[in-house]
Amino acid sequence: MTPSAAVVAAADAGGADVMVFSSDARWEMVDAITRQTVTYGTYKQTLGDVLGDLTVKPLTGIPVAVAALYAFWSVFTSFAGTLVTDGFMVKFFDGFWLPWMQSVWPDPESWLYFLFVGNPAADTCFEAFGMLTSGLFVSIGVVLPAVLVFYLMMTILEDSGYLPRLAVLMDSVLHRIGLHGYAIVPIILGLGCNVPAVTATRILETKKQRFIMMTLLALFIPCGAQLGIMMSVLPDLVGVVMLCLIVGFGIFGFVLHTVIPGENPEILVDVPRYHWPVKEYVAKKLWNRTKGFLKEAVPFVLFGILVVNLLYLGGVIQGLANLLEPVFVTWFGVPKETVGPLIAAFLRKDLAIAQLSTIPMTTYQMVASVVLVTIYFPCVATFVVMLREGWKELLAAIAVLFVVVFIYGGIIHGIGILLGVA
Amino acid sequence: MEHNDMKTEEDRQITPLGIYVTLLGLVTVAFGMADILVWAGVSPGFQVGILAIAGDDFFRWAWGGFIVVCAGLFMLAGCTRVTSLQQSAKVVLGGVLVWLIAGTDIFARLCGAIPAGETSPAFFNSVSGFLAAFAPPYTPAVLLLPFTLGIVYLIRIHDTDDS
Repeated sequence: MTPSAAVVAAADAGGADVMVFSSDARWEMVDAITRQTVTYGTYKQTLGDVLGDLTVKPLTGIPVAVAALYAFWSVFTSFAGTLVTDGFMVKFFDGFWLPWMQSVWPDPESWLYFLFVGNPAADTCFEAFGMLTSGLFVSIGVVLPAVLVFYLMMTILEDSGYLPRLAVLMDSVLHRIGLHGYAIVPIILGLGCNVPAVTATRILETKKQRFIMMTLLALFIPCGAQLGIMMSVLPDLVGVVMLCLIVGFGIFGFVLHTVIPGENPEILVDVPRYHWPVKEYVAKKLWNRTKGFLKEAVPFVLFGILVVNLLYLGGVIQGLANLLEPVFVTWFGVPKETVGPLIAAFLRKDLAIAQLSTIPMTTYQMVASVVLVTIYFPCVATFVVMLREGWKELLAAIAVLFVVVFIYGGIIHGIGILLGVA
Repeated sequence: MEHNDMKTEEDRQITPLGIYVTLLGLVTVAFGMADILVWAGVSPGFQVGILAIAGDDFFRWAWGGFIVVCAGLFMLAGCTRVTSLQQSAKVVLGGVLVWLIAGTDIFARLCGAIPAGETSPAFFNSVSGFLAAFAPPYTPAVLLLPFTLGIVYLIRIHDTDDS
């Protein structure tokens, strides 16, 4: 576009030319752009428009949201659980990889064997807990398919235009816990990985909202890796664990909203039309997200197992288990052996749940310990991102976290005692 | 003239298309209720011909059944003046929910059919094993699937209107 004669050239302090437009010239440009981009005509509502409206109205929108969540979870379990992990990975890792590692690695009594291959008597990669057995199985056999399908579904929801509608629909509910509709973005992202979810809290306007969201993410939103492991090792209990987390999310969200001073402003959401996602964009987003996740997940899983095994070898975990036994056994109602997985949870929560699955426990103890692992300290990758958002917020979030773990763990134990299951 | 005919069609309360949507809606609600009731323990799972409701897990039968009930209710809500845009949209939304449940059921079968069984030394299923996984019985949502294809007609007429 050619600037009009009213354009005046000036020079800034650095000597570079700066274009200064008069008010008339700006309006001329606005008119020119409008002529080229805006089409005038009579608006005619389409079927897509009406469907778009129906998915935002609570009466019709809530069943659609429930159905979308169902489809999301169903595809996730069928692909990641039934097809990839149970169908191929378990067979490969338990039937070929583990026996091969156990046969070729020398001296099963050595500490190097313990670190890299793990328990020489183990029949499955979950039990072995070596860096090259459980570590590779968890990261490639369980986490990778779970994360891949999760991000695919997430991208489709995003690119089809459903996510902004979900934000509008959830607005009134999330306002009750000090957030607004767009908080659904970090929440759903957190179900994939808490790291991008913490970054996505920037979408929220006030400090109060960001703090509440970050704390709730660290506490009550299990990541895709954790979900994948939960599905593999305790498929019948995932529903109960999720129920405990959803209830906790609501209760502690409301408490934080009431206690923390600050504003909770309304938002104006631009809701686009429904459209078919462009497959090139979907592929690009999927690749970027999965690549980013793998870069940090695989090294952390392997490193996590190495550190935990070293702590076991050094007797640190046994010492901590003895020290914390009264709290774990009396207050939370779980065995003292869960101290080890809780330490592993700081490195990778999925790893911790895999470790929990090898400890003999009652159903209640398993549910309680998995909930504790989820709401306990965020994994180190999330911790680092939270630190980047501000150390004061991080310290406050950790303080809240310890209080919530203690209180909520005790409440779950209390409910277990009342129901006669603890 | 054509426009006037369309108007008359829209204004009429009961049309063959409306009757089809009503029947479809009623059957869909009944199937959804059956899913939930079997899950709740009214019956220990049942099979009639090629229709089977196992009712063995909350997620598929209670949650999925609730969605099927909602789908039927949407269809019933849109069964009068069914060719009008607003009413068609409700019916289409009901159809989409049925397609969603049926689609996930079929996808679950597909995912279960590709790998060989746990005890088999092979990784991939045989062709006959793969095909056998798609044999009857089917869930109510999958059985409803071909009967909901009439809803595509509603989408088509509004697509034609738009163009």
